[in-house]
Amino acid sequence: MVLLGISVLVFVLLHAISSSPGRAVLGVQASAASVAAFNHAHGYDRPLPLQYLSYLGSLLHGDLGYSYKLNQPVTALLGENAGRSAFLSAVSLVLSVVIAVPLGILQAVKRNTVIDNSLTGLAFVLYSIPAFFLGLVLIEFFSLRLNLLPSEASQATTVLGVVADPVSMILPVVTLTAVSVAAFSRYMRSSALDNLAQDYIRVARAKGLTERQVLSRHLLRNSCLPIITLVGLSLPALLAGNLIVETVFNFPGLGLLFFNSLQKEDYPVLMAYSLIVGVLTVLGNLVADVALAFTDPRIRLH
Amino acid sequence: MSYPLEIENLRTQIRLRHSVVQAVSDLSLHIEAGETLGLVGESGCGKSMTGLSIMGLLPPGGSIVGGSVRVDGRELVGLPEPELQRVRGNEVAMVFQDSMTSLNPTRTIGYQVAEPVRRHLGAGKAEARERALEVLGLVGLPRPAERLDDYPHQLSGGLRQRVLIAMALACGPKVLIADEPTTAMDVTIQSQILHLLDDLKKRLGMAVLLITHDMGVVAGRADRVHVMYAGQLVERAGTTELFDAMAHPYTQGLLASIPQLDQPPASTLYSIPGIPPDLADPPRGCRFAARCPYADARCETEPTLAVTGPARAGAEHEVACWHPVEGPLPRLAAPTPAPSATPTPGPTATARPATEPAPGPATGPQEDERAELVAVTGLVREFPVRSGLFGRSGLSVKAVSDVSFTVRRGETFGLVGESGCGKSTIGRMVVALDRPDRGAVALRGEDLATLGGRPLRRRRRDLQLMFQDPYASLDPRVRVGATLREPLEIQGIGSRREQDRRIRELLAEVGLPGSAVDRYPHEFSGGQRQRIGLARALALSPALIVADEPVSALDVSIRSQVLNLMKRLQATHELSYVVISHDLAVVKYLADRIGVMYLGRLVEVGPAAEIYAAPAHHYTAGLIDSIPVPDPRAERSKPRDGVRGELPSPVHPPSGCRFRTRCPAAQAICAEELPPLRPFGPGHAAACHFPLREPEPDRPAAPVATLATPVTPVTPAGRTTEQTADPSTPDSRRTP
Amino acid sequence: MSITAGVEPPGTPPTLTAAPEGGPVHVSIPIWRLALRSFVENRLAVAGVVILVFFVLFSFVGPLLYHTNQVDTDIANTFLPPQPGNPLGTESHGFDVLGRLMKGGQSSLEIAFLSAVIATVIGTLYGALAGLAGGLLDAAMMRLVDVLLAIPFLFIVLIIATRFNASVLSLSLLLGAFSWLVPARLVRGEVLSLRSRDFVSAARVMGAGRWRLISRHLIPNALGVVVVNITFQVADALLAVSALGFLGFGLNYPQVSWGDMLSNGISYLLSGYWWLIYPVGLCLVLVVMASNFIGDALRDAVDVRLRRR
Repeated sequence: MVLLGISVLVFVLLHAISSSPGRAVLGVQASAASVAAFNHAHGYDRPLPLQYLSYLGSLLHGDLGYSYKLNQPVTALLGENAGRSAFLSAVSLVLSVVIAVPLGILQAVKRNTVIDNSLTGLAFVLYSIPAFFLGLVLIEFFSLRLNLLPSEASQATTVLGVVADPVSMILPVVTLTAVSVAAFSRYMRSSALDNLAQDYIRVARAKGLTERQVLSRHLLRNSCLPIITLVGLSLPALLAGNLIVETVFNFPGLGLLFFNSLQKEDYPVLMAYSLIVGVLTVLGNLVADVALAFTDPRIRLH
Repeated sequence: MSYPLEIENLRTQIRLRHSVVQAVSDLSLHIEAGETLGLVGESGCGKSMTGLSIMGLLPPGGSIVGGSVRVDGRELVGLPEPELQRVRGNEVAMVFQDSMTSLNPTRTIGYQVAEPVRRHLGAGKAEARERALEVLGLVGLPRPAERLDDYPHQLSGGLRQRVLIAMALACGPKVLIADEPTTAMDVTIQSQILHLLDDLKKRLGMAVLLITHDMGVVAGRADRVHVMYAGQLVERAGTTELFDAMAHPYTQGLLASIPQLDQPPASTLYSIPGIPPDLADPPRGCRFAARCPYADARCETEPTLAVTGPARAGAEHEVACWHPVEGPLPRLAAPTPAPSATPTPGPTATARPATEPAPGPATGPQEDERAELVAVTGLVREFPVRSGLFGRSGLSVKAVSDVSFTVRRGETFGLVGESGCGKSTIGRMVVALDRPDRGAVALRGEDLATLGGRPLRRRRRDLQLMFQDPYASLDPRVRVGATLREPLEIQGIGSRREQDRRIRELLAEVGLPGSAVDRYPHEFSGGQRQRIGLARALALSPALIVADEPVSALDVSIRSQVLNLMKRLQATHELSYVVISHDLAVVKYLADRIGVMYLGRLVEVGPAAEIYAAPAHHYTAGLIDSIPVPDPRAERSKPRDGVRGELPSPVHPPSGCRFRTRCPAAQAICAEELPPLRPFGPGHAAACHFPLREPEPDRPAAPVATLATPVTPVTPAGRTTEQTADPSTPDSRRTP
Repeated sequence: MSITAGVEPPGTPPTLTAAPEGGPVHVSIPIWRLALRSFVENRLAVAGVVILVFFVLFSFVGPLLYHTNQVDTDIANTFLPPQPGNPLGTESHGFDVLGRLMKGGQSSLEIAFLSAVIATVIGTLYGALAGLAGGLLDAAMMRLVDVLLAIPFLFIVLIIATRFNASVLSLSLLLGAFSWLVPARLVRGEVLSLRSRDFVSAARVMGAGRWRLISRHLIPNALGVVVVNITFQVADALLAVSALGFLGFGLNYPQVSWGDMLSNGISYLLSGYWWLIYPVGLCLVLVVMASNFIGDALRDAVDVRLRRR
């Protein structure tokens, strides 16, 4: 249902912006007649709903359209880059959660101490830095000044190649992770704070559990519940971050492809990627719901 | 000699951002093995902080600044945290108030009960599970083996509380601290849990510290009682001694301000004026002096606990007061103290043409000729159950099923029942906040459902609502003046100046200063806000006020102030009330007639005195039995059956008589046929196949005729066939 | 603090003439002052306000005191390091960087505030309508929000930005038009929860009509959430504008925003022209951070007001 909505939205949006693909493909010099011929040949002169239906039909067959600019089917284009992007996103997502969860709990437990306040301050700073700025500052410092790390991400063509070159991925991953950690840890902190105030924490302490047992057995799981949803919801932001980071580090992923297509006004690619992102978002939410159902027995039963 | 628990001169502080609260000041107590000590007091008096101090679980900012807490002779104050952890849950255990939030929602109950066993007794997983099973059986959890892997939300409130108790008992503690263990519960479950605690104490020989605000709870369960006020112990004595011969004016006032079931309806409740002091800046001298009728200059120095009066044999009775009183206030001629504080509204104080001071609604249950005001007939309301993903499930909560009653002019109709019985839903329908699915609410013969838009809005002046939560019922950002003006504005009554005058009158009537006009709700105490709520309801001079749990959120001493006010206003305004409450004593005090609800059905209706003295329905009888009475002798001689079991789901209510699953007299027919309401006297009817009393001779034509209230016969598919007089044994123990 | 006037020793001026039965009323503290107090106690929030005020003055009043030519390029004096006359040096067109910071600050703040207001207005109306309507309309409206939320805001804005002639107004409209989703959800939630409050029921029982409920009780009480949201929207908009600038969809020359300056300066990262990057980066981060501080503190203050019992 939502997916259908996304496809309609993307379709309408792109048509509003580029109503005559022929003109875009053939260039400004092309004659009106040849543009019309192109549009007719590809069915772009049919009424919008009909166009949408045929678009939807090919979507269902896994056909995302054809990039006239790059002379390649969109599916192939995306396929080339998807793995690399997925790698970057997955690694930084996992890292952010792994870092943010204990960090948030630590802050909640040490609430309003120097540790908490400095971590909160750091989170605020990271949260307020534009991702590209952070990336460039890191490049300047670690690559240009210290010459420790490469300024460009791995250019390997396969995911395996990227994995084999982890040093080059450090800066992109750090950049992407830092921003998510800032957001996640703030949520984690407030969620842990809410849970710490709950009666069952007091009951756990009244049982004589050590503080560590109280935190690991009773606080951790309950505090993570809202984070699961948040991670699902943060997928669009993560992919948008990908766009920036891939551009900064010249990493040939989907984000960079999107950026290049944007400059070339290659609409089929833009459309396909937006659609994919939408689908991923919906899937992300679904996965989060399922994961939540696994961790929260209250939901499991219904 | 060492006691299981001994506290000496305990002082606990809580450091807040702007102040330091002296939560507990110089408190000493001890408990023997197998003894229950009742610690009573109003909210904020430091009783819970005492419990938490013992456990070393004070909230952030809290600390013990002096004194000693010894368990079996071992000092706990100053013990390093790891040592203290080994004591908690092992030698001293605690049961908290809210069973909903006290259990971790994501762990099975088996895990949670086994946890302290693994921690303290070094038991392995299987061993601990074995022990968990054992204690869960001990606390009366039905089929514990099947429930070990259940999650807390799968259990009802009463069962969850049993799990909490099991958790506390798992390591066989010497001392059990029960902090308001039954406060949020329905009375029937409350009496089950209290009974269980009592039983366990006897069997396990524990020392129990029972912390509660409810004098009724300690009366039946405690061996000795300590009364706290404003962080201090003000009186301590054996339970019977305390109730018979209290010496502190606070104890005396507290007890006198509780409405009791045998309270003569015409009497005014005693009420302690004012509100407790702020513990961040406690007054010097006796902390109760500001509210005490006996206070004089001597009370500016602080009294200490001292043995009082002629030391009775073995009666260890101490009181901290310069002017100890002798025993309870006489019940009948309860004088209202500090009469100057009660502005008696003269005839000019009311806006309406001065009505003759009503003779008081409680002039006895003579056959009512008063005009019928509201008639509720065959009310049905069901709420669809939404289930997570798929929206509608086709199921519905049967909140109200075929309920009929009437309310006459100037009378109070009480609706009682356990939570979820549909009484609040009825209240909302009576004031047209909600529409019935079937049936009708008629105001002076006019069906509210047929009115819409403007006519309904005008009609609303006659029907007002008073809420339970004094905090949620007032818009936080509207001044009191504007809150009281709103109804007048909406209904277009009077010019601005007339409205101003009316607002001041209303404030005076509910006992608030005129300066309240410019104040915001947050500047008032809970009791004061209830007064504002009442003033707002009165603003339109309604004929009927529906009061939904009007005093449940208030402390005992404040409660009686509001109850008295409600009665007084009824007399001066010829008001009718529908009072909705789970507290039968409150309803009994206010109401002329009572309707008892169970799971959406009206099971018994009749004059208040008669319902109490001679109930016909088993549920009503059980409900009355379950109420803790602040009278040790009565409480101890009570039969301990109450009402068994738990409330069934309102989504799938039992067939036939909905009470049959918990009824001691249930037989096969109860599952098959819905018992009709049958007359048991003038205006008294009950729906039971095997009632506690013989019904009046059958008049199959229409029971309506015999009843003062036109209770429509409960007739699904027109079942009018009556049972022949059933051979049920009328309960002889209940003599009117 | 709490005294029972009736038993005060004679001589002390009684707060009330006659002790009313309901007890005395405490000294009046208006609710906004409580909120203000909780806000002021939050040092970060105060810092945030100071920073924000500083940058508003810097951007809008600064140019009146510190005159620079931001229109005509000066090829002879490009990339000058900080020196007397150019405290922060000059950039690739020879513009004075300090002066340019002020100019960029103007448009950045304008876009941020304008788009935040647009988004909040749309979102508030939309959310309030959905919350009040309930039922099918509500479900449909919220489904639309779900759909729009599924595609990252940056993607949509970028796609549209390719066709736009970027100006302060057009960018504000564009950002505003696609960032009302979160406020819409927030306001709807708030309206739904307010609708079931007792004081709203009380007004209904008095016979209050729909409009009165909305204007007297729902809107004023939902306002806190809305105001809090505006400050977060400002922070988000600043970041979005800078991202657009970085990706080459910033304001058209000679207009400039901090984001444009930053992305322009970054091309000279390798040349070591740090004054093209760090001053503007610092400004941007500080203002975003200040808005976040204020938003956080306001949210707490609103919470205090609502939770206070």
